Amino acid sequence: MKHSSRVALLLLPSAAVVLMLLLPMLRLAAEGWGGTVDWAFITIWQDDFLKWRLAWSFVQAILTCFLALVFGLPVAWVLARFDFPGRQLVLRLLMLPFVVPTLVAALGVLAIWGPQGVLSQALGIDLQDTPWLLLYGNLFFNLCLVIRAGVDALGQVNAHCVAASRSLGATPWRAFWRVEWPVIAPWLTSSLCLVFLYCFSGFGLALVLGGQRYATVEVEIYTLVAYELKLAQASSLALWMLVLTGLVALAYAYVEKRLSVSTRLQPVALRQPKTALNWLAVFGSMAVLFFFCAAPILAIVWRALLADSQAWAALLDAETQLALWNTLRFSAVALLIATVLGIAHALGTGTGRGSVAWRAAAYLPLIASPVTVAFGLLLLYPDWTASLALLIAAYAVLAYPFVTKAMTAGLGSLPDNLGQVARTLGASPLRTFSRVTLPLLSPALRRGMAFAAATALGEFAVTLFLSRPEWTTLTTLIYQRLGKPGAVNVDTAMLLACVLMLLSALVFVVIDAPEWFGKTAPKLTKS
Amino acid sequence: MNKRLLIFATALVFSAFSAFSVSASAKDLRVIVHSSFDLPKPLLAKFESEAGVKLKIVKGGDSGEMLNKLILTKKAPIADVVYGIDNAQAVRAKAADIIETYDGAAAQGESKAEFAGMAVAVDYGFVTLNYDKGTVAKRGTPLPKSLEELTQPAYKKWLVVENPATSGPGYAFLLATIANMGEEKAFAWWKSMRGNGMKVAKGWTEAYYTDFSRNGGAYPIVVSYASSPAAEVFYSKEKLADSPTASLFLPGAVFRQVEGVALIKGGKQRPEAEKFLEFMRTADVQEALQTTMWMYPIQSTTKRADVMRFAPEPAKFESMAPAVIAEKGAGWISRWTKTVLK
Repeated sequence: MKHSSRVALLLLPSAAVVLMLLLPMLRLAAEGWGGTVDWAFITIWQDDFLKWRLAWSFVQAILTCFLALVFGLPVAWVLARFDFPGRQLVLRLLMLPFVVPTLVAALGVLAIWGPQGVLSQALGIDLQDTPWLLLYGNLFFNLCLVIRAGVDALGQVNAHCVAASRSLGATPWRAFWRVEWPVIAPWLTSSLCLVFLYCFSGFGLALVLGGQRYATVEVEIYTLVAYELKLAQASSLALWMLVLTGLVALAYAYVEKRLSVSTRLQPVALRQPKTALNWLAVFGSMAVLFFFCAAPILAIVWRALLADSQAWAALLDAETQLALWNTLRFSAVALLIATVLGIAHALGTGTGRGSVAWRAAAYLPLIASPVTVAFGLLLLYPDWTASLALLIAAYAVLAYPFVTKAMTAGLGSLPDNLGQVARTLGASPLRTFSRVTLPLLSPALRRGMAFAAATALGEFAVTLFLSRPEWTTLTTLIYQRLGKPGAVNVDTAMLLACVLMLLSALVFVVIDAPEWFGKTAPKLTKS
Repeated sequence: MNKRLLIFATALVFSAFSAFSVSASAKDLRVIVHSSFDLPKPLLAKFESEAGVKLKIVKGGDSGEMLNKLILTKKAPIADVVYGIDNAQAVRAKAADIIETYDGAAAQGESKAEFAGMAVAVDYGFVTLNYDKGTVAKRGTPLPKSLEELTQPAYKKWLVVENPATSGPGYAFLLATIANMGEEKAFAWWKSMRGNGMKVAKGWTEAYYTDFSRNGGAYPIVVSYASSPAAEVFYSKEKLADSPTASLFLPGAVFRQVEGVALIKGGKQRPEAEKFLEFMRTADVQEALQTTMWMYPIQSTTKRADVMRFAPEPAKFESMAPAVIAEKGAGWISRWTKTVLK
């Protein structure tokens, strides 16, 4: 692609990130520092507690990444290589944990592992206030990221290469390490990077499950801004975190780019599990999924099914219907914008010089401190504070990195010559994109869109923004219910969470249905 | 790209955007409220038609968060009226110069001293301890008679509190302990509570729904509100004859909060804004807020909701001069963090 067109493509996402994230953060910092740079900026780290929080944030994030890889990779391999009943369903429901509101997820986890939980009572163990519960919670949310990336990555492995290495005498293990691993490594790296960033700056589940002692630095920033209005200190901290996590993102972007290998597409065919060992692998990986991801969700569903008639009646009232409709339309618009931004960013990034910085920049929406952004927006756009446009723009910007990540990973493994052939045969750049590049990238795009949709549906950090009662969404309704005492409120919250999951499952099925995309893809891969 | 996808996307965009085009009326009254604000829609509609304005309710987070948003945006105010500002914050609001004084009828009525003419008091409530009757009965230990007793081994892992750095009721409870015991003794108490397995949750919802034993947690006593036992009955599955929880009004564990409504400096629609202030003191609103926001009405003539008999008011409570809170509050929060969490 020409340099100028790449710049043009990057304008769009850059503008979104600058206007929605960087300017608000800087505006808040300017307000706090009063026009001059505050040198407390440096001395902030003399506080031991803060250092401890930073170190703890780092350790739990690394641990979660490690565990997610150890548990996630085998599951992904089984899902990518074996054809067994229910496989499609598992793939589509994989992302459900992502949309479950944090508190509902915590209730699900505690119903199993809490002090009065089913399993902890049966086994006689008390996990309350231990890091284990927190790590379990982290895996509940993040395992799906790694598995989904792994499945798609394994779909990029060339069957001929695997077959050749096997016929040359390589064991399945050796074939995996020497042939499959190099192909899937960049995909896994980028998903692990997401996991790391989520856990590192994470605010939600870890805090509920682990207790306040395990609070991350973001909690400190929240208190400084929202409760004490110490903007200078908060901004310094937020910018520090941006730099630190930015370095991590940069390192990952570098590794990811170096690892990306373009392959010709000849996916390894799915096979039926035949031997006992095969079936053991299938059941084992399903057990892992059940243990970490499905069990808390089933606990929520079980709780919802026990709800009494008052809670069921609440499902039909006008408020719930409005919330359902709002959730749908807000997510749809946000997803659409996120997809455009994401594709533009990925294509603009390309694979040439400078692409590492742009790859890393795609992580910005995930690492910017939400509370400083929310307060900065108030200062920056006073006339737009309680506007729907701003709210939806915030959804879209928070969601678009998923599309970019998936697309850059996909582009990296796309052979250049296919596009070149199309161009020499006279296709215009647009035609080449829509008939060759996009169909080939459709699995990656679909994966990215599914995650972006999940982000929009799950509405991360959205409670920090100004909202209006008529914009109530399912997630905000759930939090409203859980803001009042009483059994009916919990029941209703659980039922609403089930509605949200059902809606999300439908959205995932729609996004994942291949017929929405170019039909050329399968032909190309089979010839 | 496939045509069907294109059609699908176009349809989505149209349906979504068509619904956004809410006609902006010339007369909007922007009311910023805290996240617990909840009044029956017909009541708000009645106000709209009587005052001839369209209400634009904006939810600004919990009351502390909301106040800070208002202070931050005072050059270009984001609302005309604020509801949910509490008496403890009055001094900060005054110092930041974000409130326009109001001296209409409502400001002259009952409890006019609460906000010293700055805001109109609307309702009040008490942050206090709630206990889970079932679990306490099962454990067979008598209820503690003082905060001091809670530090004894018999009550190890009994209490869950909210972090005052992230939660309104958590902050109020911290203030109550200081008001009652004095700063040094209060922090000594917090230190021994830490040693006695007290749990700290982020906010009320986390404490009540994940740690309180009534809802599957391990702790039979929680920092909540005096009105919560009534809400437990109101929102119970089968109509309960008695509440499963009750308040434990220990000395030093009850803090009274008064919530008010005020004009924002630089706000528009002044006459209608004043009408809204008066509206919040009308009998209809005062009656309704009891079971929607679970607060007590400030007008003593208001008919009490029947279910509120499960939420008796405490005979004694702590309060603190707002000026003292404004001066020392932030310091207390960091001292608390050092004592309890670090």
